[in-house]
Amino acid sequence: MQATLTALVAKAQTDLAALHSRPEFEAAKARLVGPNGELTALMKQMGAVPKEQRPALGKLINETKTRLQELLDGALRAIEAGELQAQLGPAVDPTLPSPDAGPGTYHPLTLVREEMCRILRKVGFTVADGPEVETEYYCFDALNTPANHPARDAQDTFYFPETARFGNVSKKTPDERYLLRTHTSSVQIRTMLKGEPPIRIVSPGRTYRRDTTDATHSANFHQLECLYVDKNVTVRDLKALLDYIFASLLGPETKTRFRPHYFGYTEPSFEVDLSAQHLPKVKKEWIEIGGCGMVDPVVFSGVGYDPEVWSGYAFGMGLERLAMLLYGIDDIRYFYQNDLRFLRQFA
Amino acid sequence: MKISLNWLKDYVQLDASVDELSRAITFLGFEVEQVLRSGAPPLRHVVVGEVLVRDKHPNADKLSLCQVDVGPAGGIKTIVCGAQNYQVGDRVPVALPGAVLPGDFVIKQSKIRGQSSDGMMCSAKELGVAEDASGLLLLAGRPALGTPINEVLPPGDVVFDIEITPNRPDCLSHLGLARELAAWFKRPLVYPQEKFRGELDGTPAPELLRDVTVLSPEDCPLYTAHVLTGVKVGPSPAWLQQRLTAVGLRPINNIVDVGNYVMLETGQPLHAFDAHKLGGNQLVVRRATDGEKLTTLDGKERTLTSRMLVIADAQRPVVIAGIMGGENSGVGPATTDLVLECAIFNRQSIRWTAKRLGLTSDSCYRYERGVDPHTALEAAYRAIDLILETAGGRVVGPAYRIGGDVPWQREVVVTPGYICEKLGFDLPAADMQAALESLELNITREEPTPARGPAWTVTIPSWRDDLDRPIDLVEEVLRLHGTDRIPAAVVSAPGLVGEDDPTVRFNRRVTDYLVGHDFHECVNYTLRPAKELTTWVSQTAAVELALANPLVDDQSHLRPTLIMGLLESLKLNQSRGVTVSRLCETGRIFIERNGQNFECAAAGFILAEPLGERTWRPRDPADFYTAKKHAAALAAAAGIDLARQPLVPIAGPYFGWQEGQSAAAGEMANGWTVRFGLLSLPMVRALGVEGKVYAGIFAVLPDLLGAASPRRRYADFSLQPAVLRDLALVVDVGVPAEEVRQTLVRLAAAAGSDAFTLERVEPFDVYLGQGLPAGKKSLAFSLVFRSAARTLTDEEVNAVCQKIQDEIGRSTAWQIRK
Repeated sequence: MQATLTALVAKAQTDLAALHSRPEFEAAKARLVGPNGELTALMKQMGAVPKEQRPALGKLINETKTRLQELLDGALRAIEAGELQAQLGPAVDPTLPSPDAGPGTYHPLTLVREEMCRILRKVGFTVADGPEVETEYYCFDALNTPANHPARDAQDTFYFPETARFGNVSKKTPDERYLLRTHTSSVQIRTMLKGEPPIRIVSPGRTYRRDTTDATHSANFHQLECLYVDKNVTVRDLKALLDYIFASLLGPETKTRFRPHYFGYTEPSFEVDLSAQHLPKVKKEWIEIGGCGMVDPVVFSGVGYDPEVWSGYAFGMGLERLAMLLYGIDDIRYFYQNDLRFLRQFA
Repeated sequence: MKISLNWLKDYVQLDASVDELSRAITFLGFEVEQVLRSGAPPLRHVVVGEVLVRDKHPNADKLSLCQVDVGPAGGIKTIVCGAQNYQVGDRVPVALPGAVLPGDFVIKQSKIRGQSSDGMMCSAKELGVAEDASGLLLLAGRPALGTPINEVLPPGDVVFDIEITPNRPDCLSHLGLARELAAWFKRPLVYPQEKFRGELDGTPAPELLRDVTVLSPEDCPLYTAHVLTGVKVGPSPAWLQQRLTAVGLRPINNIVDVGNYVMLETGQPLHAFDAHKLGGNQLVVRRATDGEKLTTLDGKERTLTSRMLVIADAQRPVVIAGIMGGENSGVGPATTDLVLECAIFNRQSIRWTAKRLGLTSDSCYRYERGVDPHTALEAAYRAIDLILETAGGRVVGPAYRIGGDVPWQREVVVTPGYICEKLGFDLPAADMQAALESLELNITREEPTPARGPAWTVTIPSWRDDLDRPIDLVEEVLRLHGTDRIPAAVVSAPGLVGEDDPTVRFNRRVTDYLVGHDFHECVNYTLRPAKELTTWVSQTAAVELALANPLVDDQSHLRPTLIMGLLESLKLNQSRGVTVSRLCETGRIFIERNGQNFECAAAGFILAEPLGERTWRPRDPADFYTAKKHAAALAAAAGIDLARQPLVPIAGPYFGWQEGQSAAAGEMANGWTVRFGLLSLPMVRALGVEGKVYAGIFAVLPDLLGAASPRRRYADFSLQPAVLRDLALVVDVGVPAEEVRQTLVRLAAAAGSDAFTLERVEPFDVYLGQGLPAGKKSLAFSLVFRSAARTLTDEEVNAVCQKIQDEIGRSTAWQIRK
């Protein structure tokens, strides 16, 4: 009997190790410990065993039963592990690249624009928007541009035929022509006409000049302008804003300076230079970065603000120029080619 | 404008360095574009020497060992030299030990390759005389040995090339800029003193100029003419030639040169006629007649129109007024008697004529920007002085002066308090007064005011027509105080935070979405070629979107879509061998409707097959439904739920899209439109782009974006278990799934009990082909039923499904697929 039990365990050990699936396992389990299984058959023979041998044999059977259960559990674990392995497949190579597309990238002009807008939002400027197709009034007249100023020439500005009609771009006077805005300053005028001071806006956007495209010029470019209208706004406030913007953008070692200049819509007017020699590719001490000034009283009168009460400043700059400075890009045309090898560098 | 430092020094004492002068000019508000040096700077210990012996350097192939005679004081020097262009006997500049050449290059006695050298023989560049560095500067005319080099070379000058802003025509002259620098450096300004003050010398000679008539006084507010006789035309004296050469003008003869000199000194253009070439001995200032011709001094024949002002004699035009003289009347070598014109012309008239003729000149440039009529006669007198000095002769008259009757007077009242208020920092009143007066903006009265201290009445000189308001004087004070001295401050930010413009927020949202879905954001030009538009819009629209004055043919129209730009970017990348599949752009597009253009905010994208990309694990390519998902997301950013909008297949005039593979929703009449799907294969191929391209574009009127959408309300949802049923229908191939789905929703609602509802119906299988009749397809839907209150039984759900099926059999042409 004892030998039979030992043989049963030894056979089970061999058989169970060879199992690969649950049905095989269930069949083997039934064969060993099921109601019609081999162990059950042996246990039924207990009755034929002499009484004095029964305790020892009972113990032996119990041990066999435990041992078989261990073997069955082990076999089940092995099968489960095998199943899991089959489900998982081989281990991944984490160094392989993802075959999915991506990641997407923001255009560098968007990155620079949004960074500027964030900087300006912190000091209370909100982002304004306006049409790219404009009229002579909003682009020139309201900004105190003299009637014979070269900027108005068909040589320098894109116009539309007199018959052109734009359903959602309002004209001030019926006989003025539509044009493509040469600066985003027209947004300042529309904002002032629409609302009441105080006003604190930043207007980024596309602008157009009738320029031949080369490494530093583009007929289509982007500007960003700020306008602040309030009581008692001073030249010193304007300088403080510029200092703040460029220190935020380029680091505290950046310096700005004003040079007196002339613009029709501001008085006094300045050109803004930037000293940021810690940036790569910057060789000159001072780089011209934009224009600014105190809003001319004529502009205020034109939009119905009393220049005796209200004062303000305006600042404008080219976004491409700023992006070129920030990233060390030396050809403006790259912004409009959208070569992926270019776009991927800034995200 | 080119400004000579030597010339400036005629009017103001300037001892500052060139860098300090550049800085002063810059901070006065004039951009220095270039600083040019001419002639020799002061050079001590540089003298004339002669090469006596030239031997090869014993230790260097390319060097010579020379004996150079530098005159009695210096004797004979041994000098090592690398230049090749000289011979024994040549006289050259020799820098002796102790000399300091430009660039702070100190000359010392030294050893070069073992040979001692007592100085250096110099090139033009080393002396700062010219750019030539190819060899030694060989001195012509055998100047005496040992002569200091400055006595041999032309005197040094510094020329500033300066941009004069349009508000400052007074600074288109040396005197104007000298005035600014005098104010900056706090030095007196010395005006040239005219000797001639209008007195005529001897008997007038009316036969030389019988009459001057101004027929067009609105174009010519002032015309003066003086007659000089007995002049001798010839080359100008050296000093005059040098002045003109320094600022880039070519000397012609003493009369023409004086005219140019006075213009560059005072800003007033002048013109001289040969008195004997004036037909009828008269001058008429009049409009030209249409078609009248004049050959100008540049040798070109100009055809004039009746809007152009000319100076004519009795028969013909002799000058295009203010712009250029004619060949027929100019001063030449044989001229002995001349008429000197000094006039003021209307800016607009000059500008119009110059532009129409495509002709400009120094004179024209100044008239266009404005010449001070109140100092014109002084300039004429100054020119007469210089003609008498350089060409001899007498002023015999008659002298004519027509117009110029309105005297100049302008005063601006300003308070020091106002100036400081605008600046945002305090300056002593005395400093402000000194600044103004240094520019001859004299305070002629001072009266007390209650609030802002004394009120100054400031008299504005005639050449400062740009100043007529208190704010203009703030700028003058600040300029002279120095814009680099504006004190630092913190930004005042009194919490005025509004919301960003809705269009800006829309752009941001769609860009974030698209970039978040692996698109690369592009920026393309707004202006597109005409032929491209016909692919996207009607012929009428293409006409409406055209510019009046395009610069180049391929940028002549406003873009009606973003897709073409994106395709161009795709093509560029493909042609450069860069694999690309997903590109997007946001920006303005222009949509024509009923003859009107509408400027729309738009977002678009393309999904191309990533051609040429080999991947170790291929993914399913994008298809129509990928485009649909992204297009719906763009519409959602504008508050539009595409699932609730009727979608129509794109057909007909939209050739950009592939019929049967694309769809659209929205109308510009309602302010928005969306299109998506496969781009026209022939169009894409014609563009040179390879493979299939799916795309989508959403456009919306900016005004529509402003509308606030109502805040969403929470709706209760059931926690009871759902019961699922599938239903497959055989329908005509052309029946849209959405039509079937909505029918099911409707029938379920009609069939349903109050106890439960059809929560969702979604298609899960679409089948065409074997087992189905031709022209039919099978659509299988998954129906989700749920009660708000309890677990549903199969029986009640089955009953509703049966009712739906019965109703389909009764009211539609569809079959239930078992």
